[in-house]
Amino acid sequence: MTETKELPANMQGLSYNDLNAMLNLYGPDGKIQFEVDRYAARQYFLDHVNNNTVFFHDLDEKLEYLVKHEYYERETLDQYSMNFIRDLFKRAFAKKFRFETFLGAFKFYTSYTLKTFDGKRYLERYEDRVCMVALHLARGDEQLATSLVDEIIGGRFQPATPTFLNAGKAQRGELVSCFLLRIEDNMESIARAVNSSLQLSKRGGGVALSLTNLREHGAPIKQIENQSSGVIPVMKLLEDSFSYANQLGARQGAGAVYLNAHHPDIHRFLDTKRENADEKIRIKTLSLGVVIPDITFELARKNEDMYLFSPYDVQRVYGVPFSEISVTEKYEEMVDDSRIKKTKISAREFFQTLAEIQFESGYPYIMFEDTVNRENPIEGRITMSNLCSEILQVSSASEFADDLSYSKVGKDISCNLGSMNIAKAMDGKDLEGSVDIAIRALSAVSDMSYIGSVPSIADGNKKSHAIGLGQMNLHGFLAREHIYYGSEEGIDFTNIYFYTILFHALTASNKIAMERGETFDNFENSKYASGEFFDKYTTQQWAPATARVSELFDGIHIPTQEDWSALKDSVMKHGIYNQNLQAVPPTGSISYINNSTSSIHPVAAKIEIRKEGKIGRVYYPAPYMNNENIDFYEDAYEIGYEKIIDTYAAATQHVDQGLSLTLFFKDTVTTRDINKAQIYAWRKGIKSLYYIRLRQLALEGTEVEGCVSCAL
Amino acid sequence: MTEKIKLANKVEAINWNRIQDDKDVEVWNRLVNNFWLPEKIPLSNDIQSWGTLTEAEKLLTMRVFTGLTLLDTLQGTVGAVSLIPDALTPHEEAVYTNIAFMESVHAKSYSSIFSTLASTKEIDEAFRWSTENVNLQKKAQIIESYYHGEDPLKRKIASTLLESFLFYSGFYLPMHWSSHAKLTNTADLIRLIIRDEAVHGYYIGYKFQKGLEGASEERKQELKDYTFELMYELYENEVQYTHDLYDPVGLSEDVKKFLHYNANKALMNLGYEAMFPATVTDVSPAILAALSPNADENHDFFSGSGSSYVIGKAVNTEDEDWDF
Repeated sequence: MTETKELPANMQGLSYNDLNAMLNLYGPDGKIQFEVDRYAARQYFLDHVNNNTVFFHDLDEKLEYLVKHEYYERETLDQYSMNFIRDLFKRAFAKKFRFETFLGAFKFYTSYTLKTFDGKRYLERYEDRVCMVALHLARGDEQLATSLVDEIIGGRFQPATPTFLNAGKAQRGELVSCFLLRIEDNMESIARAVNSSLQLSKRGGGVALSLTNLREHGAPIKQIENQSSGVIPVMKLLEDSFSYANQLGARQGAGAVYLNAHHPDIHRFLDTKRENADEKIRIKTLSLGVVIPDITFELARKNEDMYLFSPYDVQRVYGVPFSEISVTEKYEEMVDDSRIKKTKISAREFFQTLAEIQFESGYPYIMFEDTVNRENPIEGRITMSNLCSEILQVSSASEFADDLSYSKVGKDISCNLGSMNIAKAMDGKDLEGSVDIAIRALSAVSDMSYIGSVPSIADGNKKSHAIGLGQMNLHGFLAREHIYYGSEEGIDFTNIYFYTILFHALTASNKIAMERGETFDNFENSKYASGEFFDKYTTQQWAPATARVSELFDGIHIPTQEDWSALKDSVMKHGIYNQNLQAVPPTGSISYINNSTSSIHPVAAKIEIRKEGKIGRVYYPAPYMNNENIDFYEDAYEIGYEKIIDTYAAATQHVDQGLSLTLFFKDTVTTRDINKAQIYAWRKGIKSLYYIRLRQLALEGTEVEGCVSCAL
Repeated sequence: MTEKIKLANKVEAINWNRIQDDKDVEVWNRLVNNFWLPEKIPLSNDIQSWGTLTEAEKLLTMRVFTGLTLLDTLQGTVGAVSLIPDALTPHEEAVYTNIAFMESVHAKSYSSIFSTLASTKEIDEAFRWSTENVNLQKKAQIIESYYHGEDPLKRKIASTLLESFLFYSGFYLPMHWSSHAKLTNTADLIRLIIRDEAVHGYYIGYKFQKGLEGASEERKQELKDYTFELMYELYENEVQYTHDLYDPVGLSEDVKKFLHYNANKALMNLGYEAMFPATVTDVSPAILAALSPNADENHDFFSGSGSSYVIGKAVNTEDEDWDF
């Protein structure tokens, strides 16, 4: 709720929905009506929230009621004295938090806050939610709980949806929501993957699965030719599993599948997203990703054919699953090996098909396999990514008995995320402190998570303590500071900011390892342990290249080469607690609550039209935007792919996992333009690409008059 | 009413390398790029939301969609086809065949919505209602009678009013639902239909104006009077229809504003001035903003593909693109 001002006469009687929608319509003076959204937020509280919130006389009465009726977890509160809890809530409410936008408030009350069991009335305000998250994650550590409240209400750190939604509630889903599973080439593994997908969806998770190891359509089964039906039926099973699980959970099941470009079913896989695909093979809600090695680009460069290899034969020849082979490394060898069945397609046509499908559906995501593995500091191989294409971790295969029990528990991946608001973090001037609290909060989520229904996930998490610290509001920050996204200064800032964050993230993880005397499993074989990871920071100086960026970092310490040398020594000696530290997610919902631009993207529109299953159409103004600084809010379609990729490349070099990178095009482009962007991204060392977004403007003469999002 | 629709007398091979009117190519390309099928939208994600509607709201929704089915069927099987014989250019004929086909896709889409959300009994009852509702039948009859009439420009007028005006009493409802976070996937599908109808109405209106060029002042006046008379007749009927449908849920007032708004748009497509003053076209902003046929809405992977994607133009990459 924002400052209370009376509604102007011409807006009297309008609902908050209407007021919010007026953001998308120009005012009589031809300017965007920024004030209407604040009225909408205010009206939302007056007409809806306040009337539907359960009243309590004081905190004691409230907490007692909520615990007694099994809304709050008693264990969470029992870790603290009542005096401390009272002070903490008082501290939180004293900050006078206000939602900056209607969408922020609406999103919080529809999707996050605690409601009565009949779903009709609200039991929490924003401050209550923040305190419960802090109390839950701090596990009795008063200092940490207090710091967490300060960081979250101050907007510097925002836990990801599952953590922010669930922490402290008695009836709740898991605190983590991102899972990656391998599937091996046998029926037990497929069946177990379907079961795991159901189990994880039921708990509110998004699941990605790798199909690369499955034998192709027409491959032999028990040496009888033409028996296998390939990856498509498995995709169908998975799609149905996810849509079934959505009926139980608070949020819909969602899944992604990844396939290597050199898998023989690659064309069938892509064609499932064609506009005119037959209903039997059409995939509607499952997301697709393709794993592309360097060799595919090399072959396309020479305009040669690319060979596709039967995973069944590869596994028989090499004794390991297809995904464990570097196709780039073994390509010539496999081409020359008569034991491996292969087919060929034109490499350039493959890329063109990829772009065609992306035009029609936005999919597939792309993971650049060799880039990812070259940059991976951990021992092992990365073979897939996740639903948002930012998680990049090593995995290993599980084995199953006939009754689907595990005969060998492999390593699958889960990841819990949280994002910093770049503008707020910079305003706070204490990046070291903010990052430290964030890393501790995320580590707590990892420690507290145990997904018993999928042992390979539970085991993987226990060994790796992997987390993903993300960043958002880059464009909002740059625009506020009158810097254009993708300009020299914009890229310089991105580089130095991520460089500094990495230093503090490693420092925090190193501290935790020292405090607990524990590192992640197999630390000793990582590039952190060998010190190799630190070479690029100890042998080279990293400093702002522009005066403007030096100015922005005024009062904020930028780590020096000496700092890095000291950190290197400490890490090599004591290790770090988390196998993975950073990953930059696309940040949908939480960036609205936090009043940020999503991730490190440019804004998709000055006034964004947001559609989500639970909300419908809502309009969101870019943070800090007004009619004066509006020029700095060029949208992603105007900015073009080069600047976006350059910005991401500057960040990527300091991030151990990946960054969700969406490419935006006007509908006047061709598949060739999309291919060019992909080539550019690969050359720039980008690790993965997320959606392709297209913007089609209304045919001249058919647009809605005076509509902001219709304007060029 | 029952005489056969006229067919084109003479058919010539359409040469797309000789373009008389660039608008034909522009609209053809736009329509082709916009091609879609209802299977694209995960309608089943709306089942839960459907369950939250009251019985009266469900009934209304079913009726609105059967009404739209009737109009789309009319436009697909009779309307667009009846415009072919009088096409000014051969390419215009081709565009009408595209329009006719897409109208049939639209008509079928409503059946997809029905079969996803409702039982056979409910569907049959809604269709029975559509054959019995006087006002619905009347509007179909009015339009159909002009499609069968002799005057080619009047056919275009009737067609434009159908595309740009008559559909919208129905379109209001899914837009209303989606602005209240209900049936959002259905709204996506309807938005695809609106995207098409906006182009159809615009194009037929444009061709009407082309046909009017060179006509005598007297003829021009005749057609203008005719347009406003027909609009008024349809409007009267549409108001009744709106009350029939929307009174039980108390939305009639706002729907009527929406009718005014779209009546003005239809007249604009035909090149005429607005009929309703701005004071009665102030549709609720939530509806107006939801209408935007643009495709720049942002959505996540939990929400289906939205109305954002089009069929792209494939162009080979060249050696220079691979120069690294």
